[in-house]
Amino acid sequence: MHRALKTLSLFASAVVVLSACSPGTPDEGTKTLKVAYQKTDSFTALDTMFQAAKQEFEAANQGVTVELQPIEGNDDDYGTKLALALRSPSTAPDVFYEDTFKVRSDVDAGYLLKLDPLLEGWADWEKYDDAAKAAGKADDGGTYAVPLGTDTRAIWYNKKVLAAAGVSDPWQPRSWQDILDTARKIKTNDPSVIPFNMYAGKGTGEGTVMQGFYELLYGTGSSLYDEESKKWVVGSAGFRDSLAFLRTLYDEGLAVTPAEALDANVWKKVFGEWFPNGKLGATVEGSYAPSFWQEGGSYAWPAYEQEMGVAPFPTQNGEAPGAVSMSGGWTLAVGAETKDPDLAFKFLTTAMNEKNSLAFTVESSQIAVRSDVADDPGYQGANPFVKDVSELVSVTRYRPATSDYPRISAAVQEATEAVITGSRTPEQAAADYDAAVTDIVGADKTVRK
Amino acid sequence: MTAPVRTRRPAGAPVLRPERKQGSTAADAALTLVGACFLLPLLWLVLGSLDPEAGHETRVPRTPGLDNFAAIMTPELLFQPLWNSLVLSAGTGAVTLAAAVLAAYPLSRYRSRFNTPFLYAVLFGTCLPVTAIMVPVYGLFVQLELLDSMPATIFFMATTTLPMAIWMTRNFMDSVPLSLEEAAWVDGASRMAALRTIVLPLMRQGLGVVFIFVFIQAWGNFFVPFVLLLSEARQPAAVSIYSFFGQHGAVAYGQLAAFSILYSLPVLALYVIVSKGAGSSFALSGAVRG
Amino acid sequence: MQLDHRARQLVRYLPVLPAVLLLLVFLAGPVVWAFQASLTNAGLTGRSARNPEWVGLENYQRLLADPAFPLSLGLTVLFVGGSAVIGQNLLGLAIALLMRRARPAVSSLAGTAVVAAWVLPEIVAAFAAYAYFSKDGTLNQLLGSLGLGRPEWLYAFPMVAVMLANTWRGTAFSMLVYRAALNDVPAEISEAAQMDGARGWQRLLFITLPMIRGSIATNLMLITLQTLAVFTLVWVMTAGGPANASATLPVLAYTEAFKFGDIGYGTAVASVLILIGAVFGAVYIRLLKEPRP
Repeated sequence: MHRALKTLSLFASAVVVLSACSPGTPDEGTKTLKVAYQKTDSFTALDTMFQAAKQEFEAANQGVTVELQPIEGNDDDYGTKLALALRSPSTAPDVFYEDTFKVRSDVDAGYLLKLDPLLEGWADWEKYDDAAKAAGKADDGGTYAVPLGTDTRAIWYNKKVLAAAGVSDPWQPRSWQDILDTARKIKTNDPSVIPFNMYAGKGTGEGTVMQGFYELLYGTGSSLYDEESKKWVVGSAGFRDSLAFLRTLYDEGLAVTPAEALDANVWKKVFGEWFPNGKLGATVEGSYAPSFWQEGGSYAWPAYEQEMGVAPFPTQNGEAPGAVSMSGGWTLAVGAETKDPDLAFKFLTTAMNEKNSLAFTVESSQIAVRSDVADDPGYQGANPFVKDVSELVSVTRYRPATSDYPRISAAVQEATEAVITGSRTPEQAAADYDAAVTDIVGADKTVRK
Repeated sequence: MTAPVRTRRPAGAPVLRPERKQGSTAADAALTLVGACFLLPLLWLVLGSLDPEAGHETRVPRTPGLDNFAAIMTPELLFQPLWNSLVLSAGTGAVTLAAAVLAAYPLSRYRSRFNTPFLYAVLFGTCLPVTAIMVPVYGLFVQLELLDSMPATIFFMATTTLPMAIWMTRNFMDSVPLSLEEAAWVDGASRMAALRTIVLPLMRQGLGVVFIFVFIQAWGNFFVPFVLLLSEARQPAAVSIYSFFGQHGAVAYGQLAAFSILYSLPVLALYVIVSKGAGSSFALSGAVRG
Repeated sequence: MQLDHRARQLVRYLPVLPAVLLLLVFLAGPVVWAFQASLTNAGLTGRSARNPEWVGLENYQRLLADPAFPLSLGLTVLFVGGSAVIGQNLLGLAIALLMRRARPAVSSLAGTAVVAAWVLPEIVAAFAAYAYFSKDGTLNQLLGSLGLGRPEWLYAFPMVAVMLANTWRGTAFSMLVYRAALNDVPAEISEAAQMDGARGWQRLLFITLPMIRGSIATNLMLITLQTLAVFTLVWVMTAGGPANASATLPVLAYTEAFKFGDIGYGTAVASVLILIGAVFGAVYIRLLKEPRP
């Protein structure tokens, strides 16, 4: 016992000494760039891109080490971890993967470097389209992030499931009522199938609002934020109607059970189990859906090209323009505290050169934001749906780019969760939301519409 | 081996013998039932780890095998996080033990008005809910630029276990008679030398208990490294198992169960060692008896 | 002379210094920081991340107006009362009493089973509980085979599930405390009572329990404090959902501060929790100071 203990404590102190020395202090003369990004078992395209960029960059710049720091987690967890790291200069990465909707609030927080002087020297910047460039801009008009790609949202449906219920192909619902009618038809035909799912609740985070609630809300003619007056909309009939529609879907059992909806992993079942097994009629999902099913994707399903169909999401009663979509997308940004801005930006441009951009856009089924990638045959032929989902850009909407948005989004998610679990009626949940918004931005920044 | 636990019962006083005259069968049955209920949730862990097709259901594997274990035995999934856990736990144990021994010595050996208030203040420290101070600790670490640093995390975890450790160590030290030490002083040894050569060897078993107690707590700690260690390369098993759950939880239940078992084994083994050596009430000796 | 004595006293207490420093920096520091940050609008992102402003008691006013806070406070009381004071405490006492009557082999086996749940790392216990209570988990398998239905515990009764899970995980502590306490009850007292014709439950109620009331009080305080701080178990099982139906104070503080990025508000929640802990801690120390029977 005695000797064992002595060894134990010797070992323990050795370990402490080791660990105290280990955090990598780079040698004089060499430079290290820290790169933080998201990596999950179903999203490795970015990891591939950065691995390639690291090799290229280290070969071209002697003495520079690129330290890749993949963060494993869903969008929500990634956002939290990144924010935790950004807050402290000692842990803030030099280059990182940033959601477009967080750009403005992170600029306000002083986390992002203004890129305008650096972009002047980068020839490729001209090839980016203006809508995409806008996503990286902040209130001061400066550009703080470079877009990797964009996306749109549409209804993805399983042709076999719809055909079995006697729905003609291609399916194109013209109004919310059309959706409910078709969903009920599917349910009557085969009660074991989930007819039409829409995400809801806090579990799926930003997915709840982007692939679900906002398609409803913006299809009512209402919106989250009034761009003209720069105020948040409260008390809108459209908001209540949208919640009521979700309630109908969940109450009638046309969507998944509320318990399943609250599971953060429900989308994996959508892509990996229910669609391929013919257990789901339709859902609202992003243009990137094929990235999961194509060869090398995490839920490879070769038959998806024939069995799946895509349709624009209709407005409430078919009002013009008849369809609605939402766009988001991710960017790369440079940390404001980086010791060597030029070097960090240089790495960013290596990661986003034409070759790497094309490979990333195809592998993750993004909608191209640069003309050279968009014109490439490899991109256009990547999957049968590229044309359909790209056309939705004409009706697409963006999230309000303000620094309050992330909290407002959380309040919307909360409202959907309250409604589908039945803890609040749509009217009550809408009133709670109004109170929450007023609380977050102040009464003078809200408008009743 | 006797546990150097302070009790107020005079040595040799007769204690209540277990009453086995009546109701023993009923008690047996009731206890068996309770034991079974407590084991049930663990059954899934064991069966699931051996079942390559495991779900949430508890069932005997159709094709039992070690596939799940094989699948997770990779350096980045298993060995690196386990090594990080070891560094964190051993480091925390060492720092705690060193600080606790030093602090316990004057508290045990000198009489002063200072002792009682200090001990109660320390005890009060054990009462603070650690989860409540994680948000402020994060803020503190940001300001001191200590985020994502192993040594800083070790020092913080050591501090959270320190109050309990000081209390336990002092109790163990009280049971080492002063007279032995006095003999050393006569021979000209200094206080610290006497502590090192006389007192510590005599209470080594108690020190082992404190070390293992702290080690087990640190090994199982999830929330502290979850908030304070950010980079993947420094994360201990508790955190990496959580992100594994988040990502594969809906699919690879069997691997999750296998990972859980491999991660739990070291503390189960340590617990057996210490409870064999010092009686199962080891962890309570300091706090409860006073 | 006086000074010399003081100096010697100081030198003697020098070894306490490392421990005191650690406690000041890492325990007292954060507590002070918490109260200070809860009076600002510090955020994880946005303008308030760079320049947090002093907002006085605004966060606390928001707490009182926010329906999530009273709910969370109520859930925390329910969680502590149900799983610690009733669940762990009574079950632990019952097991300890039963162990004195059962065969040694049975009692040691049952004891091992109870302790196993306690020794496991928290996160593993949380996974096991999550699987146990999930829709097609072990509990529903059992209930289903008895024809009692298969409710979705984590969704329909999240508090019941986390309370049962916490009872399962923590009972070992109370059991160990009560076993040790019962072993200290002198035999002659109970024997004398037996000769007076006292029945088993009368002896328990009027003799045994009063004799271990010190241990009961300490145990209650300690498990209350432990349960107050439980985060991982709830986080893994329900993450506070659905619709905040199981968001106890630690979960609420974490969500507000890190998920919603509102550090100021999150620390206000945390400060309330620290205060509650401090009150229980003070009571606990009063109990320890009182002379035991």
